[in-house]
Amino acid sequence: MKRKATRNALLYAGVVLTCAILVFPIYWLIVTALSEPSQLRQLPPSFWPAEPRWGVFGQIIAERPILLWLGNSALAAIGAVAISMVVSVLAGYSLSRFKLRGGQSLGLFILTAKMLPATLLVIPLFGIFRSLELIGSLWSIILAHATLIIPFTTWMLKGYFDTIPRELEQAAMVDGCSPLGAMVRVILPISAPGLAATALYGFVLSWSDYAYARTFLTNAQGNWTANLGITTMKGEYISNWSDISAASILVALPILAIYLVLERYLVGGLTAGAEK
Amino acid sequence: MAGIRIDSITKSYGGLTVLKGFSLDIADGEFVVLVGPSGCGKSTMLKILAGLEEASSGTISIGDRNVTDLAPGDRDIAMVFQNYALYPHLSVRRNMGFGLKMRGTDAGEIDRRVADAAKILGIDHLLDRRPRALSGGQRQRVALGRAIVREPQAFLMDEPLSNLDAKLRVHTRAEISALHKRLRVTTIYVTHDQTEAMTMADRIVIMKDGVIQQIASPEVMFRKPANLFVAGFIGSPGMNFLKAKAQASGGGATAKLFGHDVVLPVANADALAGKEIVVGLRPEHIAAGPGQISFTVTPRLIESLGSEQYVYVDLPEEHRRETVSAGEDEARRSALIARLINPEPGPPGETLTLSFDPARLHVFDAASGEAIR
Amino acid sequence: MPRSAFLDLARPSRRHWLGYLLLAPAVLLIALIIVYPLFVSVDLSFQNVNIARLDQPRRPFTTANYERLFASEEFWNACWVTFKLVTIVSFFCFLLGLGTALLVNNRFKGQTLARLLVALPWAIPEVIAVVIFAWLFDSSFGLMNWLFIRLGLVDQTTNWFSSPEAAFAVVCTVMVWKGYPFVSIMMLAGLQSIPEDFYNAAKVDGARAWQRLLHITIPSLMPVIGVTLVLVMLWVFRDFSIIYVLTGGGPLKATQSLSIMTYEQAFGFFKMGYASAIGVITLIVCVIASRLMIARAPDNI
Repeated sequence: MKRKATRNALLYAGVVLTCAILVFPIYWLIVTALSEPSQLRQLPPSFWPAEPRWGVFGQIIAERPILLWLGNSALAAIGAVAISMVVSVLAGYSLSRFKLRGGQSLGLFILTAKMLPATLLVIPLFGIFRSLELIGSLWSIILAHATLIIPFTTWMLKGYFDTIPRELEQAAMVDGCSPLGAMVRVILPISAPGLAATALYGFVLSWSDYAYARTFLTNAQGNWTANLGITTMKGEYISNWSDISAASILVALPILAIYLVLERYLVGGLTAGAEK
Repeated sequence: MAGIRIDSITKSYGGLTVLKGFSLDIADGEFVVLVGPSGCGKSTMLKILAGLEEASSGTISIGDRNVTDLAPGDRDIAMVFQNYALYPHLSVRRNMGFGLKMRGTDAGEIDRRVADAAKILGIDHLLDRRPRALSGGQRQRVALGRAIVREPQAFLMDEPLSNLDAKLRVHTRAEISALHKRLRVTTIYVTHDQTEAMTMADRIVIMKDGVIQQIASPEVMFRKPANLFVAGFIGSPGMNFLKAKAQASGGGATAKLFGHDVVLPVANADALAGKEIVVGLRPEHIAAGPGQISFTVTPRLIESLGSEQYVYVDLPEEHRRETVSAGEDEARRSALIARLINPEPGPPGETLTLSFDPARLHVFDAASGEAIR
Repeated sequence: MPRSAFLDLARPSRRHWLGYLLLAPAVLLIALIIVYPLFVSVDLSFQNVNIARLDQPRRPFTTANYERLFASEEFWNACWVTFKLVTIVSFFCFLLGLGTALLVNNRFKGQTLARLLVALPWAIPEVIAVVIFAWLFDSSFGLMNWLFIRLGLVDQTTNWFSSPEAAFAVVCTVMVWKGYPFVSIMMLAGLQSIPEDFYNAAKVDGARAWQRLLHITIPSLMPVIGVTLVLVMLWVFRDFSIIYVLTGGGPLKATQSLSIMTYEQAFGFFKMGYASAIGVITLIVCVIASRLMIARAPDNI
C-alpha cells in the first residue's frame, strides 16, 4: 500500500511538472498580454501582473484592424472548408463503399498529396492566380487552402465512413432508397459528428496557414488574414509585445476552442446502437 | 406473396468464383434455409437475391417478374440483417415505417401498420425509443418488425439470430417459425447453424464452396444425406465415419467393421465389391449393451449431460480416414462418438459394450464422397 | 415506383457508375489545383524563368537550374540545415511525445485534464507559437535571458537571433514544442489499443514495469511509431512558417532549410525557375518518404 502511495505521489508530481513546463509558454502569452508594456521591461519579471489590464483586448480591437483580419481568416477558412467538404464527402464515400478501378490509386495519390510542401505548390499557384488575376483576392487562398484540406478531409471521411456498417445503406436500399438517397437519408445524418470533426479539422488547417497568405495577400492589406496581420505587428520597429500577445490570443482562441470540442466529439460514435 | 425462381446464378470476383450455377425454385409461402460453412456463398446468394450485389450471370424472378437487374427497392422484398442495421438516428417507429415512407404510403396507413406489427412482436412500448436504448433481443424484434410492416413478397434473413445469446436464440427461433406460419410469406433464411436449418426449414439448401450439395426437407436431409459433406454437417454431434472395404457376399455387400462382417444396406451390391468406402454411423444410432452388431471398447472420455452421455472412443487404426474434408474437426478422424440416452452411470476407464443396427448405416464412395444406396 | 432503366443507378449493374460520379468532383478539383500546378512546377524548373507567367510563351528547355543548384554551396548548406533540423526535432518530438503519452496514460484523477493540457500546443497556430517564443527569447527583456543568467548558464544577455547556433537552437525549440503534441496524441491512441490482458498476463508472469514497457508497449506501438516518425519528419522537412517568421533563414543562413531557400529564391529574388528546381528536389524526397510510410502504414492513417 505504501509503495502505491509513493508511486501516486511521484506520478502526480511528474504530471504537474510536465504540464506546467509544456503549457508555460501559453501561460506566459496570457501574462504578457495582461501586463503593462512598462512592466514587461522589469527584471526580475513578475509571473502575474499586479493589475491585469483586461481592457487590452478591447483596446487593440479599437486600435488595430484585428477584427478585419479575423473576419478574412474566417471567410477564407469557411470558403475553403465548404469547397473541400462537398468534394471530400462524395469522394470519401465513394472510396469507402465502391471498389472501383482506379479508386485505390486515387486514394494513394491523395495520401501523397497530403505530404506535398506548400513551398513547392506556391510557385505554380502564384503563376496561375496571376493569370486569373486572383492575387490579392481571398479566392486565391481559398483555393490554395483547398489543396491543403482536401487530402486530409477525404481520408478522414473515408475512415469515418468505413466505421459505419454497410448494412445500413443496404437496408435503406431494400427499403426503397436509391444509393444516393441512402447516403443522404441514412449515412450523412449518422455521420454528423464525423462531418463536424472533419470540417473543424479543415478549419484549423486553413486558419493556421501563413505561407499562402504571405505570398498572395501581402500587397492587399484589406484582405490580410490574422496570421499575416500578426507577423506584420511583430515586424514593427518597436515590438509592443503586450499588444502582439493580446492579438495572438484572439487569433489562437478559435483553434483552442475547436481543440476542446474535437477531443470530445471524435470519441463518441453515434453508430453505437446500430450493431449488436 | 410469390414464389421465387433462381436460375443458374454465378458470381465471381476477379478469378475467384463464389457461386457456381445456383438454381432453386421456391414455392409461394415456403420457408427455405440456405445453410453451409462460412465462405460457402450463402450470404452472397442472399445479397444477389436482394439486389445488393450483381450476379455475374443467371436470372432471378420473383412471382412472374424478372428482377435480375432491378434495384433492391423495386423488388418488393424485405431483409433482416445479421447486425439488424437499424437506423441509429431514427426512433423505432420511424425505423419500422421508413420503407413505407419511401414508397409514398400515407402517414395514417404507416402508423396503423407499424402499430399492428409492433403489437404482433410485443414491442409497442418501445416505439419511441432509439435503437441504442434497446437490448439485443429488442433490436432483433424491431428488425423483424421493419420487415413485416412492409408486407413484402418475400423475407430475406441473413443470420438474424447469430448475435443473440443461446437462450434467446432458441426462443426467437420458435417465434420466427410461428410468425411464418401466421403470415405465410415466402422466406429465405441464411444460417451456418444446422440446428436452425433443421428446426425452421420447409426445405434446406446445403452449400459448400459455392455449390449446392443437396436440397431436401430436414427429414430427408437427416435420413438420406446425398454425400459425406451433408452427412457430416447435419446432426449434432456429427456422423461417425469409418473407412472400410466393401466385399461381395452372397447377393449382398459386406464390410468388416470392428471385426464383424456387417451387411451394408445398399441396393446395388455388385458394383460395390472391392471398393474403398466410408461407412457412416450417427452417434445416436449407437446403443449401450449388446445388439445386432456389438463391440467392446474402452472409452477415452465420457461427457455427461444428465439425460444423455457422449462416449468418446478411439477409432481402430484401420477405420481411420487419411484426411478429413475442409471445415471438419480433425479430432473426429480418430474418434467415434456414441450418444447414449438415459445411460446407466458407469465408472469411466472400464470397458463398455456398444452395439448398432446395420440397417442404420450410411455408405459413401470413399473417392467421390457420394452416398451409395 | 418504376424508374427509367438506363439512369437507374440503384440497379445492381449500374451501381458502380455512382461510385465514379461521386469521385468526379474530387478528381476534377485535384487535377486543377494540385496536379496541374505540379506539372507547371516541374516545367518551370526546366526553364530560365524569373516570374512565373502562364500567359506568356514557354521559355526554351534547359537544365541550367539544376546544374546551378548542384554547384551551389547555398543548396548544400540548406540540405545540411534541413537534415540537422529533421534529425534533432524529430528525436526530441518523439522523446517528449512518447514520454507525455506514457505519463498521462496512467490512471489518475484529473487524467482527462492532463491529457488536454499535454497536447495543448497542438492548438496554437504556428505563427502564434513563433510570437510566444520570439518574446521568450527576446534579446533585451526575454524571460529566457533572465532565467539563463539566474541559473548561471550565461553571464550576460544573449542576442539569440544573431548567433547562428543560438538561432538554430531556438528554431528547434519552437518546432519541438509545436510538434510533440502530435506524437503524443498518436502514441496515446496507440497505447489505448493495446489490450489490457497483455499487461495482466505479463504481470502474472512477473514482468517488472520496465520489462512491460520494453516487451509489450514498445513492440505493440511499433507500427504507429513508424508512421508517426515519417509524418513528423515530413512536417519538419516541409515546414515554412516557423522558420520564416522566426528568423527568415538567418543569421548567415544558419536556419535556411530547403523550404526557406525555395521561397526566398522564388519570392525574394524572383528566380522561380531556379526555385522550382529546389521544389522538385523536395518533392522527390517527400514522395519517397510518403511511399515508405504508406507501405508500412497499419491502416488508413
